[in-house]
Amino acid sequence: MFKNYLKTAWRNLINTKFYSALNIVGLTIGLAVGMLILIWVQEELSYDQFHAKGDNIYKVNASIGTGASKQVWGGVPGPVAAFALKEVPGVVSAVRVVTSYDYSVFRYKDKLLKEDFGKASYVDNAFFTMFDFKLLKGNIKTPFPNDQSIVITESTAKRYFGNEDPIGKTLTGDSKDPYTVSGVLADFPANSSIGGDILFSINVKKKQYTGKDFWKSMDQDWGNYYTTTFLQIRPDASTKAIADKLTDIHMKNQPGIKPTDGVFQLQALKDIHLYNPDGTSAGIQIVKIFSIVAVLILLIACINYINLSTARSMLRSKEVSVRKIIGAERSQLFMQFIIETVLCFSIAMVLAFTLIYAVMPVYNSISGKQMHFDLFNSNVWQVIALTIIATLVASSIYPAMLLSSFKPISALKGKVAGAGNATFRKILVVCQFAFSVGLIIGTLIINKQLQYIHSIQLGYDKEHVFALPMRAMQDHYEAIKAELLSHTEIKGVSTGNTSVIIGNGSTGDTDWDGKAPDVSLLISPFDMDKDFIGMFKLKFAAGTGFTGTKSDSAHYILNETAIKLAGIKDPIGKRFKLHNLNGTIIGVVKDFHFASLKQTIEPAVFSYRPSSWQMFVKTTGKDAPAAIKLVEKYWKQYNANFPYEYSFLDDAYNEMYRSEQHTSTLFNMFAGIAVFISCLGLFGLATYTAQIKVKEIGIRKVLGASVTNITTMLSRDFLVLVLLAIIIASPIAWYAMNEWLMDYAYRAEIHWWLIAVAGGVAVVVAFATISFQAVKAALANPVKSLRSE
Amino acid sequence: MIKISNLEKFYRTEEVETIALNKLSMEVATGEFVAIMGPSGCGKSTLLNILGMLDDPDAGSYVFNEIEVAHFNERKRADLRKHNIGFVFQSFNLIDELTVFENVELPLIYTGVAASERVKRVEEVLDKMQIMHRRNHYPQQLSGGQQQRVAIARAVVNKPKLILADEPTGNLDSSNGNDVMELLTDLNEQGTTIIMVTHSEHDARYSHRIIRLLDGQTVMENIMV
Repeated sequence: MFKNYLKTAWRNLINTKFYSALNIVGLTIGLAVGMLILIWVQEELSYDQFHAKGDNIYKVNASIGTGASKQVWGGVPGPVAAFALKEVPGVVSAVRVVTSYDYSVFRYKDKLLKEDFGKASYVDNAFFTMFDFKLLKGNIKTPFPNDQSIVITESTAKRYFGNEDPIGKTLTGDSKDPYTVSGVLADFPANSSIGGDILFSINVKKKQYTGKDFWKSMDQDWGNYYTTTFLQIRPDASTKAIADKLTDIHMKNQPGIKPTDGVFQLQALKDIHLYNPDGTSAGIQIVKIFSIVAVLILLIACINYINLSTARSMLRSKEVSVRKIIGAERSQLFMQFIIETVLCFSIAMVLAFTLIYAVMPVYNSISGKQMHFDLFNSNVWQVIALTIIATLVASSIYPAMLLSSFKPISALKGKVAGAGNATFRKILVVCQFAFSVGLIIGTLIINKQLQYIHSIQLGYDKEHVFALPMRAMQDHYEAIKAELLSHTEIKGVSTGNTSVIIGNGSTGDTDWDGKAPDVSLLISPFDMDKDFIGMFKLKFAAGTGFTGTKSDSAHYILNETAIKLAGIKDPIGKRFKLHNLNGTIIGVVKDFHFASLKQTIEPAVFSYRPSSWQMFVKTTGKDAPAAIKLVEKYWKQYNANFPYEYSFLDDAYNEMYRSEQHTSTLFNMFAGIAVFISCLGLFGLATYTAQIKVKEIGIRKVLGASVTNITTMLSRDFLVLVLLAIIIASPIAWYAMNEWLMDYAYRAEIHWWLIAVAGGVAVVVAFATISFQAVKAALANPVKSLRSE
Repeated sequence: MIKISNLEKFYRTEEVETIALNKLSMEVATGEFVAIMGPSGCGKSTLLNILGMLDDPDAGSYVFNEIEVAHFNERKRADLRKHNIGFVFQSFNLIDELTVFENVELPLIYTGVAASERVKRVEEVLDKMQIMHRRNHYPQQLSGGQQQRVAIARAVVNKPKLILADEPTGNLDSSNGNDVMELLTDLNEQGTTIIMVTHSEHDARYSHRIIRLLDGQTVMENIMV
């Protein structure tokens, strides 16, 4: 029986090559793209899920301020971990991870390699027991036998030592500090939020506190929110109680701190990839959007299949009748048609797998991920099974029910209930195009927002500025600056601890004249020389800039937001204290965007430092190569042991929006594919309609209808459906995209014409698809079509 | 074998009601060969469909092998049909995607006959219909006469007690038509009851009895000698 079903199914497929091809191409693309998106979604959802104790691991966040000035910070002060272990019931283990910026190059023998910033961290020993990162070599209990020990990842070991055993070998940081490799860690999984290449003991960081500064030690420094702190808690412990207890401890240990200044919160490890510390979306929204897109694309492919199969069911009615007359039961026929769908799907699935394999490298580069389509991976099979079963069920049942329900006698005579009644198919076409139009609108809005981001007045000029660490040049900054400025290729030179593009952390360690007792301010500090403000063309709202005189060391410049949030009236001349340094406010700069446009502008304070670790050089587009060469001369003179490095601020700026760029590119592709698959279906339906109306067209032509008349007649019905789809999809897409835009503090306006463009695209594409068939049918010789009846 | 009494069937459109069968009664005994004749629209095909349990009557009684089937549901009718009745159509109604062998095999598949038994029985009947050499051809590769042989082979492969033939020679030339009538006569002689709808007086002469219908009623019966 099964063999017979399969045989019939196969021969049917072969006999109707055109429709089979449409069906299989549509399904293949739909399945492939659906699975590609779901693989992406699965990858995103898999972040940080692989730790055995993961359910009980939390990151401590700090919520600072109240009301409009409330900020939730992902870093907390150093003592939190120590106190949590000592004084908070329910805490089993605590780990601090602090990014190290101490070294940028390491040397092994004559091999000098650059390490990217942010790839090295100081960690507590418990790092190796709390998390499931695999220590391949070394002792898990004493990963750092002394403070000069480091643990490196497998691939880092390979880079420096090749196939030699790395244990006991020495890596010298920035040509001065030797570290001995005491452990080798398996590379961090791609889906881990915690990563890096080199791990130092947290003691190295602790030793950087000399006891002479305001904060005596790391475990006493309650003022700087810079450690990423993870707590493993007992399964029955309350996260709220632990967070509250930590807040209490903070109040007790830092004089003058009140609950309104800040409270601690716990965030589940499993959430840190997709949610920001304040609970807003850090990606979960895109995950949701993409899941919906995957479902829509799969639905579009299913609808194609259903529409083509049911439209053509009339041609199958004779076969169904005969089978019924000679003894087939409905269930047997039902099975037969299910098997036909299964066959079609199997072919499409194999093709889809091939397609996925083929496009995976491109897909990875577009999405900025390292995903693998591995048929031996159970996760991949989850996606495959889910996709295939859902789409198979969705597309097989209705056609099978319809076909097996034919009454044999009427079907033999060509009277088929359901197949003639095309309302259901029309509804499906409307759905299909509604999805497509929705995706087009989504694409246009995402692109519009990205354009907007690029066109927004940032409040500063970053054009043709490159940055480099000064290292030894720092001691000769003024001389180098003077010499560089004598070249026409160089338009400006300045120094600062951070660029204007992105701030460098925040501190709550502030005080000012007239500070209300319940107000606290988390502020981003910028250190700079006197030319920084001018070179980046920051504008003053009041006061003046630094002059480069000695008195500037007691001067502060704040941005408008800081003044507003601090509630300072007539700020010029008022006292402001940052850390332990009292000073006077001499200027107020207009607000500028020193973070992603997803965030609103936050408070900033400028301090005068005539020489900072970083140098900024402004040139022109034309002179850039010459300027880079000029700076290189000094680099070689002072930093001979280090490879020359520099980066343009424009690149850093674009990097901030890389994930949006990826999203936008993917969205463009998905929308295009959705429209394409919808058109395949429409093309099939138009072909079919032209076929069954061949006699009507013949008669109309004999009676004098023109080609235009016929084309209009055939296209009109479909275009009405597409218009209906536009009407349905527009408000929904509009609403959904508005929700997406809510993520951004600065949003592009959605104009009505975006919807019109999306609708126009759909109509034009649909019309082109239909008219091809319609014109062909209209041009056919009526004598031929009438005779064939 | 068959006893129908006061059988009625109406066809309704929005405005018109057509009576296809008007209180029709008739009997067919086991082993008979009956021809049903009459002008177009007299209800011949409707009668045949009801006899073949493809359609149900609006009123009246239909007793098949001493079972009242007039009010059987579709499933019961299908079950009774597939074990007892074979069909032969004017337009052959073979399935284009299946070969001669597979077309004939189909009824056996639906009645759950084992594969080895199926091969034996299909070969047997193809042999008898002298179409064995065409077993692997598709219907569209055969002449009309050959197609009708295949259709008859398919109708008899399940060894039905009754064969219903709807103008079996209507699409054939006279030579092929005669061959088909000979085949049916042979089957009848071997014990199969045959009811045949036809327009052809020539074909009707092969039967034992002609029932003539007009406007859904029996108007005359001729016993052939």
